[in-house]
Amino acid sequence: MWYYLRLIGSFLRASIQEETASRVNFMLNILNTILSLTTGVLGIVILFHLVTTIQGWTFPQTLALLGIYQLITALQNLVIQPSMNSLGGIGGDAWTGRFDYTLQAPVSTQFLVSFQKWRLWGLVDVVLSCVILGIALTLLGGQLGLLQVAMFVLALCISLLIVYAIFLLLTSASLWQHGVPLVWIFTSFMQLGRYPVGIYPGMLKLVLTWIVPVAFITTVPVEILTKQVSPIMLVGGAGIALGLLVFASAFFRMSLRHYTGASS
Amino acid sequence: MTEPHILVRSLSKTYHVPERKEGLLAAMESLVHRRYRDVKAVNDVSFCIEQGEMVGFIGPNGAGKTTIMKVLAGLLYPTSGEVRVEGFVPWERKTEYLRSISMIMANKNRLAWENTTLDSFKVLAAIYRMSHAEFRSVLDELIDLLEIEQLLHKLVRNLSLGERMRCELAAAMLHRPRVLFLDEPTLGLDVSMQLRLRHFLAEYNRRVGATMILTSHYMADVTTLCSRVILIDQGKLLYDGDLTGLAERMAPFKLIRLSVDDSQGQSMREIEGAVLSAKYQVTIIDRADRRLTLRVEKARAAAILTHVLGELPVVDISVEDPPIEAVIDQVYREGVWL
Amino acid sequence: MNLRGGWELIKKSYLGWMASRGFFWTLTFGWMVPSLLYLFVWVAVAGQGQIQGSTRDDFIVYYLCLIMLNQFTYPVCNWTVGDSIRMGRLSDWLLRPLPVMFEAIASDIAMKMVCTPFAVTVTVVLAFFLRPAVHFSPQSVLFFLLAFLLAQVLRFLMAYTLALLALWNSRADALLDLNDSLVFLLAGQVAPIALLPGALRALAAVLPYRYMLGFPIELLIGRLSTTEIWQGFAWQCAWVIGVLFLYRFVWKHGLRHYTSVGG
Repeated sequence: MWYYLRLIGSFLRASIQEETASRVNFMLNILNTILSLTTGVLGIVILFHLVTTIQGWTFPQTLALLGIYQLITALQNLVIQPSMNSLGGIGGDAWTGRFDYTLQAPVSTQFLVSFQKWRLWGLVDVVLSCVILGIALTLLGGQLGLLQVAMFVLALCISLLIVYAIFLLLTSASLWQHGVPLVWIFTSFMQLGRYPVGIYPGMLKLVLTWIVPVAFITTVPVEILTKQVSPIMLVGGAGIALGLLVFASAFFRMSLRHYTGASS
Repeated sequence: MTEPHILVRSLSKTYHVPERKEGLLAAMESLVHRRYRDVKAVNDVSFCIEQGEMVGFIGPNGAGKTTIMKVLAGLLYPTSGEVRVEGFVPWERKTEYLRSISMIMANKNRLAWENTTLDSFKVLAAIYRMSHAEFRSVLDELIDLLEIEQLLHKLVRNLSLGERMRCELAAAMLHRPRVLFLDEPTLGLDVSMQLRLRHFLAEYNRRVGATMILTSHYMADVTTLCSRVILIDQGKLLYDGDLTGLAERMAPFKLIRLSVDDSQGQSMREIEGAVLSAKYQVTIIDRADRRLTLRVEKARAAAILTHVLGELPVVDISVEDPPIEAVIDQVYREGVWL
Repeated sequence: MNLRGGWELIKKSYLGWMASRGFFWTLTFGWMVPSLLYLFVWVAVAGQGQIQGSTRDDFIVYYLCLIMLNQFTYPVCNWTVGDSIRMGRLSDWLLRPLPVMFEAIASDIAMKMVCTPFAVTVTVVLAFFLRPAVHFSPQSVLFFLLAFLLAQVLRFLMAYTLALLALWNSRADALLDLNDSLVFLLAGQVAPIALLPGALRALAAVLPYRYMLGFPIELLIGRLSTTEIWQGFAWQCAWVIGVLFLYRFVWKHGLRHYTSVGG
C-alpha cells in the first residue's frame, strides 16, 4: 500500500539526516567499510599465497564466496540490522522504555521494527561487494546463462529472507530477556560463512547447514554461479525461508504480548 | 444512556518481579537461583470519565497510577477487569484507537536524538497519516501555543530540558489526540515553564475537548487543571471526586488565625494557655509575634470561635480551610488513612 | 594512590555488569569468532602436512592462545570511554579524587572478570576436542609473561588514547573500529605474522599491532631466534613509550578543549 511505501521514504529521509549530522563519523564509516572489505580480501589473498585450494575451492571461487557474504551482510546492514538493533540490547528501545512509543504508533509494530532505521553508507558496501563479486566471476571465466542469473537472484532473495526471519526471531527474543543481543551471536556465526563450510569439523558443519543455516545463506548463491546446483535446492531453500518467516512473525507477535504483560 | 468516554471496571494488575539482595555474594548466588515476588500493582479499580474531563491521578510513588495509565493507553495487559476507551479495548491496539490517543511519559524521549525537531515531527506526521495541510496547520498552532519556533531546526540533543519537554509535548499532540495520558509532564521544569504548560493543556482541552488524565507531583498542576481527582494508594482507589471533597475527608479541619493584643495584662504565654485549656481539641500549629494559628476540628469550629472571642483579647480573626497542597502533601508523605 | 577507591570502582563496575552478564558473554563470543574462523581455515589448509614449517597442531595451539590473549588484552575502554564522554559522565570523573584513567582501567578489569570465565571454558572445551600437542619451555613462558604485560599496557593505552578523541568530536568512534581492523590484519589474527607475504610482514614488524597480540604468542610457542626476540622487545618498549607520549598529548589538549567548550 502506498502508505507503507511513503512511511519507508520518511524513515529513509530521517535516517539520512541523522547520519549526516556528523560528517566525520560519516566519512569514517565509509572508510571503515572499505577497510573491512580489504581485510577480508587480504585474508583470502594471504591464504592462497601459500596454497592453491581450500577443500577443493579455488581462489576465484573463494573470492566469489566472500563477495556474496559481503553483499548479503551489506544488504542486511542497510536496513534490517539498524532497525532491529535499536530495539534490543543494552540502551535499546526495549531497555530504555522508548519501545512504549513505538507500541503507541498506529502502524504494525513489526513493520516499524523492520524498517525504522536505515544506514545509507551501507550502499557503498553493496557496491563494493558487487565489485568483488564481479572480479571473482571474471577470474572464473566461463559464461553465465540467463537461467543461471535468474536462479542466482532468486537464491539471493531467499538468503535475504532467511536473514530477515532470523533477525526478527532473535530480536523478538530480546523482548523476553532485555539486554542479550542474540542478534550479535547470529552475526558472529554468519562470519563463519566467509569460507567454504567444508573446513569445519563434522558437528559444526551440520550446525551451520541446518540449525543456523549460514551455509545455505552464503554457499548456495555462490554455487549457482560457480558450479552446478539443482533447482531442488532452490525450492528447498524457498520452503525454509517461508517457513522461517511465518514462524518468526508469529513469535514476534507472541513476544509483543509477553512484553505488554499478557498472561498466557 | 451513552457510554462514558473512559470506562474502567474492576481493573487489576499483578507483576512478577525478580529481586536480589545487595553485595557480591548475593550477586553470585543470583547466577544460579532467581528469586521472584508477586506485586499487586493495581487492585480492583473502577471509575468512569466523560468526554472532555480533566482528571488528576494522585497518590504516593509506586501507588499504581502509571500502571493504570499504561493499561488505558494499551501498553499493558491487565490481569483482570474491563476497560473501554472511546469504545475500544485499549490492549487490542487497533489502529483507529492508537490514532486518537497519546501518552506522554516524563524522562522518556520520543524524539530522535540526532535529528532536528522538525524532522522528527515530519516522521510522526507520516506515521499518523496527516496531510501536508493538516500538518502545517497543527504545527502552526503548536508553535503558537508552546513557542517552539526557534527550536524547530535545532538538533534534539542540543535542546535544554525545558525546550525538549515542550517539543516532546508538541510531538505527542501533533495528531490531535482526543484522549491524553500525561505522566508527570512538568517534571524538572522551572516555574514559568510549568505555568506555560498548564495554560497550554487547559487551552487544548478547551479547543479540542480532549479528555485528559494527569499525574503530577506538583500540586499546582492538579489544582489548576483538574476539577476531579482520583486518589490511588497501594493499587486501590480510595477517593474519586472533587478536590474540596477530598480535603474535607482527609483533613476535616479548619484553621483559625488570631491576632491578639497582649497589652492588657495577659502575656502571650497566658493567652496560649487559655486557648489550650479550653475543653475542646485545639492544636497550635504556628505562633508569631502576636499571632496564633490554631487547627480545630470542623465540627467544633463554631464553639471554639465563640470561646476564643469571648475569653481572649482578639484584635483580628480569620477562619480558613487548610490549603489543599498541604493536604495532598500529607498524603504523599504519610500515605493515606481514610 | 587511591587504591581503595580503585577497588571500589572495580567492584561497582563488576556488579553492574554481572547483572547483564548475558550481554557480555555474547560480546566475548563475538570477539572469539574471527580467531575461531581462522583456526579452522588454517587447520583445513594445513591438513596432514605443513605450511612453511607449521603443522596442524601448531596452528591449533597458536589460535587457542590467541583467543585467550585477545580476551585478556581486549580494550574495553573502546566503548565505555567514548560513551561516557558523550553522556557527560566525564565531568563526574573529573570531580573525583582519582585519576580519570582509573575509571577506564576499573571498567576494563571488571569486564574481564565477568567475561574471562566464559572464554576460558570455551577454550578448554576446544582444546579437549582438538587435542593439539603442546610443549612450552619455561624460558618461553617467562618471555611470554613479560611481553603479555607490555602488550596489555600498549593495547589499552592505544585504545584509550583513541577513545579520548571523543573529547574533540563526540562521534569519532569509527576510528576505533578502524583500529580494530588494523589489529585484525596486522596483529596475527588473519594469519600468524610469519606467514604473511613479505611486504605485510615487514609492515607488521614495525607497527604496534603485532606487539599487542602476535608477539607474545610467538614467544610462547618458541619459534623466534634470539635476535628476533631482542628486536621484538625493543620495538615493543619503543611503542609503549611512544603511545604514552601520544596519550599525554591527547589528554592535555583534549581536556583543555573539552573544558573550554563546557563539556
